[in-house]
Amino acid sequence: MAYEKPLPRINGDNRQFWEGCKNHELKFQKCASCGHVRFPPSLVCPRCLCRDIEWIVSAGVGKVYTYAVYHAIYHEGFRKDAPYVVAVVELQEGPRLLTNIVGCAPGEVSCEMPVSVVWEDVTPDISLPLFRPAV
Amino acid sequence: MLDAGLCQNVLISYGHNALSSDSMLAMLMDFAGDDAVFGHFGATGGYALAARRAMHEFNTGPQTWKHIAVDQRAWANLNPLAVMHGRPMSFDNYLSSKYVVEPLRLPDNCLVNDGGRAVIVTTLERARDLRHRPAVILGLGQHNPSVQVAQSGALTDSTGARKACETALSMAGITRDDVDACEIYDCFTYTVEVTLQDYGFFGPGEGEAWFAGGTIGPGGRMPVNTSGGQLSEAYYMGLTPLSEAAMQIMGRCGDRQLGPATETNEPNIILVSDNGGILQAHSCCVLGRI
Repeated sequence: MAYEKPLPRINGDNRQFWEGCKNHELKFQKCASCGHVRFPPSLVCPRCLCRDIEWIVSAGVGKVYTYAVYHAIYHEGFRKDAPYVVAVVELQEGPRLLTNIVGCAPGEVSCEMPVSVVWEDVTPDISLPLFRPAV
Repeated sequence: MLDAGLCQNVLISYGHNALSSDSMLAMLMDFAGDDAVFGHFGATGGYALAARRAMHEFNTGPQTWKHIAVDQRAWANLNPLAVMHGRPMSFDNYLSSKYVVEPLRLPDNCLVNDGGRAVIVTTLERARDLRHRPAVILGLGQHNPSVQVAQSGALTDSTGARKACETALSMAGITRDDVDACEIYDCFTYTVEVTLQDYGFFGPGEGEAWFAGGTIGPGGRMPVNTSGGQLSEAYYMGLTPLSEAAMQIMGRCGDRQLGPATETNEPNIILVSDNGGILQAHSCCVLGRI
């Protein structure tokens, strides 16, 4: 069955991030000058404006900074998931990602809860980084 | 523009058929961008993320927000133009209502309605010659932190409200103690709490005690959103609070008029807020009688 939820819109800025995801790697830009690890990808470092970057692969572990439980359905593709959890996860390396918490009931999620990445392959080219409670 | 003599009257207007068309939803869906991949849409979700982090860091939540929802509804019941006029709400009604995006329930959300609102800004000289007492702009302040919710590591630090309010009060030459009422941009109940908190009416986590006992409702010591606000009157973006403040100062508010009619302060000074994005932009205006 065709995937029913929205897919990311790949562009020049985010291509390397989503290509990393396809290989189940969370890749982030790290500023070659000040070392700031950032997301979303950008041409210049938001801290020091340096243009030189290296890409790092995150260990995929972090903690829930905040979360919200969707009861309302804004898009039919999410109807079977509700209530589902949208969260901001703060990764060990520093960046924050908007994502979903899976593998536990919404009522079990809390701020600062340790989580680790789990990959959902939704199309041959797109894999989504979701997070579950760390074991 | 008025001071420079470029014009004599400025019309600020807003109109939207948000209820009878799908344009509001379409706009919010468009804002979602790639957040839609994870089912994150609209404004409720963004404010829910901010409100949840606030619940983690200090005492807030439904027990605080119920006062805001219920007291604003009480004001709406004194306003025949309010969408929610004639529909009183109790704490039990609030606490038993359904979640939209938890922790935000339906009555934590502003209304979606058709309609419009407008104000006219002119010179004080011209305004003195009009039928109603002028509502005078005494101070203005703006501060825009701009950081996206998902990128903010300090969601519960002060919003733009704190600096915007300091600037506006300073320009007006007054302090918070001079304020008789507030008209606060209330896209969500939590927005009212965090704005008044950043304005310095109470410290983080003290909102529940500050709001308790009808502080902001009819007869309260600090009336807030006296038309019912965006939660219970109607959503006209920043013109809901701004137009109500002007009307109160002019004395045109009928049963909900501040002063003896509602056992509240005479509205000599009203603080007005506007807010954009998910707590990303803030403006504060002091309106008063002179």
